[in-house]
Amino acid sequence: MLAEEPAHTATSTEHPQEGGFPPFDTTTFPSQLFWLVVTFAFLFTVVWRVAGPRINGAITSRRGAINGAIAEASKAREQAEAAQAGYESALGAARSRANALAEETRQSLNAEIAKAKADADAEAAKAMAAADARINATRDTAKAVVGAAARDAAIAIVERLTGDKVSADEAAKAVGT
Amino acid sequence: MALNPMEQFAIKPLVEAPLFQIAGQPIYFTNQAVLMVLVAVVSALFLTFAVKPGRLVPTRGQSMAEMSYEFVANMIHSATGDAGLKYFPFVFTLFIFVLCSNFFGMVPGSFTVTSQIAVTFALAALVVGLVVVVGFMKHGIGFLKLFVPHAPWYLLILLVPIEVISFLTRPISLSVRLFANMLAGHTMLAVFAGFVVSLGAAGGVLSVLSIAPMLLIVAIMLLELLVAFLQAYVFAILTCIYLNEALHLHDHP
Repeated sequence: MLAEEPAHTATSTEHPQEGGFPPFDTTTFPSQLFWLVVTFAFLFTVVWRVAGPRINGAITSRRGAINGAIAEASKAREQAEAAQAGYESALGAARSRANALAEETRQSLNAEIAKAKADADAEAAKAMAAADARINATRDTAKAVVGAAARDAAIAIVERLTGDKVSADEAAKAVGT
Repeated sequence: MALNPMEQFAIKPLVEAPLFQIAGQPIYFTNQAVLMVLVAVVSALFLTFAVKPGRLVPTRGQSMAEMSYEFVANMIHSATGDAGLKYFPFVFTLFIFVLCSNFFGMVPGSFTVTSQIAVTFALAALVVGLVVVVGFMKHGIGFLKLFVPHAPWYLLILLVPIEVISFLTRPISLSVRLFANMLAGHTMLAVFAGFVVSLGAAGGVLSVLSIAPMLLIVAIMLLELLVAFLQAYVFAILTCIYLNEALHLHDHP
């Protein structure tokens, strides 16, 4: 058919069947198959050896990058959470230490206060005891002075009334001192 | 008929003399060869250079290449499981070759490689040949169990010949489906284009009416773009399904 091309086109308007149905024209098959094999094999080789691995590499490297970024982000979040936990535990420790310190201070102050109070009490008791002793002494002295005066007065009274001289002991006995 | 709608399928040598001969058959550089070379070279260059492996945010071209790659990879994986991924380069090449042939053929004035039964039959024979080779390599003579479904023996008398016939007609159905779809679509476009020309040449009211087949051509063109993709997809998915049978026989996952 290829050789008789001009004749074919000249007659095709009157007899469309003349050249036959082009896809079934077997004279073209060798050329078709030859070019199909060449081009398909070329494309297959490129896809198999070059383009396929290239595209696959692009896809996997992107997937890797995304997964890496996600892993990094979750690691950073974990670190932040750990830092937060550390801060909170440090805060708790400081707070409990402060509480302990305050408690200790309060207790030592209480003890000091109690001690001062006890000291003051003791001093006051001592002063009171001394005062009592002074009072007693003064009273005894006063009693003795009053007794002696009464005896002397009794001796003097007896001497004056009776003229008898009464001994001091008798007079003392009589006045009841 | 001023315009023969079949003329667009004629294969014409662009160089009068044959390039060389193979087994006594002359090989010409034809209009179809131009399109096949274009399909192979353009898609090979595109798939290679649209993609830069280190690029995290893909460009439009890289997205297209990656999407078609993952489209075919998912197709194989869903049809055959992991075992079929070995044949990815073949199925991907097949898909890209048929897809680009169909789309390049949509350009007015070009040539549709897949509208030739020789091409589609050769591709289908390649697919079925691969299936047979893979089947025998994987299962040995047990591959013939493909023709024996699980059924009582008296049904097998009927079923085995049916299975054999259905297997033998696969290359025909696979190739004719693609060939006929492309042929019919392009013939229809040419016929309606002929209407536009003859109505326009008729003059008067008829010239105005020629707008109707023109609009129809636009609509059919859109439909044909869909068919161009769909047939490439069908060709690839059927390849996957046949491969799955060769890999797993009847024990489907």
